[in-house]
Amino acid sequence: MTAFQTMGPLSVLHAFLNVSRWRVSADKGMSVRPDTINLYVLETGGCEGCAMEVESLCGSAFALEQYGFARVTDPADADWLLVTGPMGRACVQMLERVWNAMPAGKSLVAVGACAVDGGMFGPNYATLGGLKALTPVRRAIPGCPPSPQDILVGLQRLAER
Amino acid sequence: MMSMERIIRSGERIALAHYHLDPEQWEAMLTAPGRALSLLSCWADEQRVYVLFLDGDCPLMASTPVEDRRYLAPSSRFPAAEWGERVAYDLWGVEAMSACGDGRPALDDGFWETTWPLSSRPGPGGQAMPLPAGRSRLRAETTGLSGPLELSFDVLRGAVQGLSVDAGLAHRGVLQRMVGLSPEEALPLVARMTAGGFVAHPMAFCRAVAQARGLQPGPGTRDAWMILLEIERISVHLFDMARTARAVDAGLLATHCEHAREAIAAACAEQGVPRRLTDVITCEGVRSGLEIVPLAHAVLEVMYSRMAQLRELQSVFAPRLKGLAVLAPAQAREFAVGGLVGRASGRSLDVRRREVGMRLDALRATGSSDGDAAARDALRLTEIRDSLALIKRILGSIGMDDDEPAPEATQEGIGAAEGARGDVWYWVRLKNGKIESVHARDPAVSLLPVLHRVLQGEAPERLSAGLKSLALAPSGVAM
Repeated sequence: MTAFQTMGPLSVLHAFLNVSRWRVSADKGMSVRPDTINLYVLETGGCEGCAMEVESLCGSAFALEQYGFARVTDPADADWLLVTGPMGRACVQMLERVWNAMPAGKSLVAVGACAVDGGMFGPNYATLGGLKALTPVRRAIPGCPPSPQDILVGLQRLAER
Repeated sequence: MMSMERIIRSGERIALAHYHLDPEQWEAMLTAPGRALSLLSCWADEQRVYVLFLDGDCPLMASTPVEDRRYLAPSSRFPAAEWGERVAYDLWGVEAMSACGDGRPALDDGFWETTWPLSSRPGPGGQAMPLPAGRSRLRAETTGLSGPLELSFDVLRGAVQGLSVDAGLAHRGVLQRMVGLSPEEALPLVARMTAGGFVAHPMAFCRAVAQARGLQPGPGTRDAWMILLEIERISVHLFDMARTARAVDAGLLATHCEHAREAIAAACAEQGVPRRLTDVITCEGVRSGLEIVPLAHAVLEVMYSRMAQLRELQSVFAPRLKGLAVLAPAQAREFAVGGLVGRASGRSLDVRRREVGMRLDALRATGSSDGDAAARDALRLTEIRDSLALIKRILGSIGMDDDEPAPEATQEGIGAAEGARGDVWYWVRLKNGKIESVHARDPAVSLLPVLHRVLQGEAPERLSAGLKSLALAPSGVAM
């Protein structure tokens, strides 16, 4: 018997109804925010592990919006900039471009060890070694890579400050 | 007239599959008549230039001295070598003569602190060049990929023409950071080469190190590595399917892929293993405390109940991917594109087939050779099915003995692993137990020379979906 034959007749409707059953639930004790903080995600030259975990968090396996956060694709709509990766020298212009496009009241959040100080990819000819080389990092979520749950909890803690 | 492989083997053999050629032999190799070998990778430093080929299903490597900072370009025969030649120029300042291509920078667009940073004569940093006026651009932050990669192109009657790729933004100098470390000290760096290969990269590296040391991983380690690699394949394929599905508004398929991937991560965590299998491969085998059998059973349980629904949804949404980002079979052959992208374009390369102890009967994946996003998506799901079958087969005979003898210790080794996104290759040379020289080849590199052809003619708004379907990882390209 192959893997594809283990279930009975199926339909797209069945798949639709099944979605909520398989959703990973976040920590039950997490608070729900009344307002929404819009997040823009930028990878600046790492292994992409943190970026992929943020992408997982923003996917449908987690109820990000339920906890008061939403991912946006235009920096002009963003409140917080989530940076992943160790900040390649060639990526600084990209960071500036995105940061400058964000409206006033914005915040910078380093996600993962590399984004803070480069992690295992410290400064060299091509890499600055994290946001720390450009600006004091006041908001950070540690991990290598942090799980989507870790990132969500970290975002909530930062929002409560 | 001698064939290319005979010319290489006429050189001085200095390791299991590595031959030193003099400049005359090098030139003869590049101009040899008849069928050319499949080029896997080309790289150079100040002393030598190297090429790694696939001869049948075995690696074959040749190198020759760099003289007066120049060498005869492998790209004069193998267009796919151009990326490696440009990288070598950016890092070491060694020049490829008679190279194909326009010699644009590969990694250094003028942002680095020094020019030719790894050479014995580095210069001051350069200056970033502005993009030619009139060209359209897909900025690095808007490609939808997980890492930075920039495209520039012209638009003619609504279609992309003359596309060029800036793939160097993610360069971190990982390989150079490994030099002088023991393989064990370097392993954490290898384990963070690219997130699509948290298992595949360390596995290929450890295989190369084992060969250099004259060791053969035992059957228990071999099978544990195989299972971990298949779990990673399932997880990464689900990620790539989900992202591609989102790009064409197939949210329901994306949702189910995302849920399945998270369920695998949760199953790993419940077994005390990192969610994405980071740092599970060691030079000796697997991390201490990892119990491979319960982990494998947990993943099988998670996935079997989801497969039928995933197949149903994949087939429902497949028409949206038809004709998107087509890699023609002839181009896949010409540029030796491997991995899933190559297989969806009719190439049969899968380095798992040459592995000792592989349960070959489980590797049955076949599919369309149309080379478009629909073919790649369907193949991803079929390969997930095969991965589940392979894990089950391995569990049925785990630790099955084989008679593979240990290789001779030459302090040089080549290792490969068929990662989710393609064949990962490592070459290492050790000296007094430390890494003297190392090279890694990620499957994303083989996509670079064909990318402009694959995306030519697409509408600009479809570029992101095309890139996602190809699962191009900038971190793997630039390192």
